[in-house]
Amino acid sequence: MKRKILLAVIVSILGAGAPWLLPRAEARVSLEKCTLCHSKSEFRKILVDGKIRELFVTADSLKGSVHEKKNCVDCHFDISEIPHRERPRRVNCTHCHYKGNAEGAPQSDAYLAYFDSVHGKAIARGNVKAPLCQDCHGSHAILKAKNEESAVSQKKVAETCGHCHIEIYAQYKTSIHGVAVAKGIREAPSCTGCHGEHKIYGHLDPKSTVYATHVAEQCSTCHASVSIMGKFGIETEQVATYKNSFHGVASQFGSRTVANCASCHGTHDIRPAEDPLSSVNPKNVPKTCGKCHPGANPNFAVGKMHIDAKKKEAGVVYYVASFFKYLTIGTMLALIAHILLDMYGRSKRLRGEK
Amino acid sequence: MSVDDKKGLSKETIDREIEAAVSSETAGLDPGQADEIREKIRRRVRAEMDREIRIRTATKRREEERKVREERRREKHHEEGEMFQRFNRNFRFQHMVMFSSVIILIITGMPIKFPNFILSRVFMNLWGGINNSTIVHRIGAGMLIYFMVHHLLYTILSRDGRRDFMLLIPMPKDIRDAVQNIRYFLGKTGERPKFGRFSYIEKFDYWAVYWGCVIMIGSGAFLWGESIALKYFPKFVLDIAHEAHSDEALLATLAIVIWHFYNVHFNPDRFPGTLMWWHGEISEHEIKEMHPLEYEEIMARRAKQAEAGGTDR
Repeated sequence: MKRKILLAVIVSILGAGAPWLLPRAEARVSLEKCTLCHSKSEFRKILVDGKIRELFVTADSLKGSVHEKKNCVDCHFDISEIPHRERPRRVNCTHCHYKGNAEGAPQSDAYLAYFDSVHGKAIARGNVKAPLCQDCHGSHAILKAKNEESAVSQKKVAETCGHCHIEIYAQYKTSIHGVAVAKGIREAPSCTGCHGEHKIYGHLDPKSTVYATHVAEQCSTCHASVSIMGKFGIETEQVATYKNSFHGVASQFGSRTVANCASCHGTHDIRPAEDPLSSVNPKNVPKTCGKCHPGANPNFAVGKMHIDAKKKEAGVVYYVASFFKYLTIGTMLALIAHILLDMYGRSKRLRGEK
Repeated sequence: MSVDDKKGLSKETIDREIEAAVSSETAGLDPGQADEIREKIRRRVRAEMDREIRIRTATKRREEERKVREERRREKHHEEGEMFQRFNRNFRFQHMVMFSSVIILIITGMPIKFPNFILSRVFMNLWGGINNSTIVHRIGAGMLIYFMVHHLLYTILSRDGRRDFMLLIPMPKDIRDAVQNIRYFLGKTGERPKFGRFSYIEKFDYWAVYWGCVIMIGSGAFLWGESIALKYFPKFVLDIAHEAHSDEALLATLAIVIWHFYNVHFNPDRFPGTLMWWHGEISEHEIKEMHPLEYEEIMARRAKQAEAGGTDR
């Protein structure tokens, strides 16, 4: 028994020491060797389809980025000779970025959601246009998301997404949220504010934060918060009034055809109601409602949309609600009193009292 | 010759009579044609007679079954006495259509009013989600509308319907009855108010359903045809319809569950409910207790009929 333990200890020590005992990857090339070619400004390749791939990299390329201390081959580790004959493969970030890594990368596995996301799945299906980590986060000049200059910062992420989703970016940029973000309002949502960061799903995927039945919840993360909306003078009661309306209730019960916030207010092109381009501008309301209820008349936009029958601002609806409230209370009190009196009389007679 | 007079005659005499009538009618025609017509008429008359006999036997059988049931019941509950018909078949059918539609409407509608209530999801999922539940709700609505139309026609066209409607109109006596009933509950008087065919409690039930149907069907029509409604009305009209529909639904549900259920189910006299809604009959004991004036009226009518020499019961 003792011998077996000893053996196990020796084997494990040997195993752990092995990487140091063996010579390290034979051609560990240094930065200088790479920049020998890559720092020439005209160093580029003309591709078959006529596009030009810039291959210009200098020693300063990584400067200031989160990978400042890294070397070319730390990421491009498939290069073992110089000059390399083949095109190096795309960098695989998960080589270092995983929970429990020893490379000093952030101890996070938030990126795991990426593999399940619409982008990760597109990659897995072999779509070469789908984005990998570096397509959003940048390749050499990677900065922390908190840094305003980062490609994935709140201010810049829309532009980054817009590299591919160009039409949506154009809509978003002029929307109320896009304008607010451009003004530097930290609370306003950019793409990731609604769609999530790594866990982005198509809007038809029930896991998506912008799935038909999740939209109201997603919007209400900010729009139900008095502390956020108070800063901009926006009411928060819209969330509650929507949830109490038939649209809201049906949505909570899983109806996908019923209107959610985005059905009326738009998705990327949300604008304030005063804006004539807004889908909820009184002029456009008949058309917007007409998407589901064909033939809505221009009168339809008269009055408030999000009404709370319990408040006086609801006008005539408030009085109808109050009428029924008192009618119900009054009737029920009378009926219950009658029942209780009946029971009282019965029990009294049962006891033989008169 | 009326049908009742014919009853006593034997089949042969009737046959002979028909034969004679046919011969006299076909006298002018040529013999071949007359024979053909005669044969045709004979066949038809025979079929008709067979049919009548069948119907008669079925009625007789039902009558006999009823008598047997009556006797069996009398042996069991001899103290209850004779059974009187309180609700006719048409009326019972209306009540059944109404309560089934109302149950459907409540269990598909209330979850929408109280989406966070724990049972709401259960009732929603019973139909397989809100898309189906709304269809079931409309089926219930269709039944209720049918009931309303049926009842209106019944009130106008049927003799019983007209009589009941007149008796259901609120009268000053109902207020006196209510006051006396409450005094009776409190022990201030030992005498219960004497109710007619419909007590003030039943009248309230009836008019509550009337009011409820008008509000619910009226506002529901706006919500059902919302796409048509918003072609012609501003949004607040639909908001009012929605509010009224939702609030009146609660009032009606509470009235049914608390008031109606107490009066017909949980009330110690009735617990756990009677089958009157099914067979429509009320016992002598109960009619004397609950509707003494109606009982007196029936008895008076019978006495009058007996005097006039009528053979009907």
